[in-house]
Amino acid sequence: MTDQAPANEAGGPVEDYLDQLLLSLSGPPRYVRHTLAEIEAHLHDAVADELTAGRTQADAEQAAVARIGAVRAVTGHPALFTRPSAAVLRRTALAGSLIGGVALVAYAFSAVISVGLAALRGAEFVSAPFPPGSYTSADCARWLAGDAATHSCITAMTRDHVGDIVLQGIAAGLFGLLALLAFWLMRQRWQDRGTLTALPVGSAEAVGAILALLVAAVGVGTAVDLETVGRGLGAGQPIAIALAALCAAAFFAVRLYRGVRTTRWIAPA
Amino acid sequence: MKSEKLKGNLDMLLLAVLAAGPGHGYSIITRLRDRSSGSFDLPEGTVYPALHRLETAGLLDSAWDVVAGRRRRLYRLTAAGEEHLAREAREWRAFSGSVSLVLGS
Repeated sequence: MTDQAPANEAGGPVEDYLDQLLLSLSGPPRYVRHTLAEIEAHLHDAVADELTAGRTQADAEQAAVARIGAVRAVTGHPALFTRPSAAVLRRTALAGSLIGGVALVAYAFSAVISVGLAALRGAEFVSAPFPPGSYTSADCARWLAGDAATHSCITAMTRDHVGDIVLQGIAAGLFGLLALLAFWLMRQRWQDRGTLTALPVGSAEAVGAILALLVAAVGVGTAVDLETVGRGLGAGQPIAIALAALCAAAFFAVRLYRGVRTTRWIAPA
Repeated sequence: MKSEKLKGNLDMLLLAVLAAGPGHGYSIITRLRDRSSGSFDLPEGTVYPALHRLETAGLLDSAWDVVAGRRRRLYRLTAAGEEHLAREAREWRAFSGSVSLVLGS
């Protein structure tokens, strides 16, 4: 096993053109196979001629593809599918790890806020108790066994739920930090302009900010509803999520501002 | 030459090139370019749909062969293709002569 792909899988203009052609050819399988083989032989001939004329391999392939023309010249219709370039895939991976990492860390932060709110206004404010009849005396016994400081089943239940929120927050925080570490490592590795400009500058930050604001809006709406209709029971967690989402939105907004401000330093690929 | 004009007469030109002997796609394009002193220089991929169309019409025949160590599809003119080319060439010469007469006046 090696890190490098075999030469015939490494890509290049000719391989990319043939991939695109394969995806665009329609008709009986034999016609598709024959046309592909025919065009492949043609491109190899053209590359050989260009190499003889003194071009490098990369330039020769580029020239051969330019000479044969667009895929539609061969198929009679425009390319049906195009494979996303490696740069776009890399840039998407960067965006996904950044947005996902910040979202998970924000969720962990919301768990911390939830714990704070539970300490201030009680666990029932953060996690509404189950309605009567939806749990058994065995459930009560289990919750009480885990909380020696109270004799109230409701209090033990809601404290247990807050404990679950904390555990979820810790897990989310760990995964979020891993995602951000992956983002940082990929960012260090992929410094080429092709990757940096494969998507519009600030697109990941803009998407992240919009998503975070949406989450914050839903959180506030849910909290208001629970405050007015549900006497505030369980309103704490959506408030915590909304606050954490606003922090994430602010983080993305700052990155977006910085990215747009420095755009002029990045020349197009 | 305008590519539209060339495309309008591409079938006849391909048949004419193959009248000199069988050939594969790349060699047909090279011969077309050489015989026209570089005037007929169209996107090379456009030749293949035309070759396939001519084969479907029975004017060309093709077979796979190995040339210079590479598998290639060799096209050759059929009897119907020869007749078609002769007729097209006659009509073209008549048309071209008439156009020349008009332009010459």
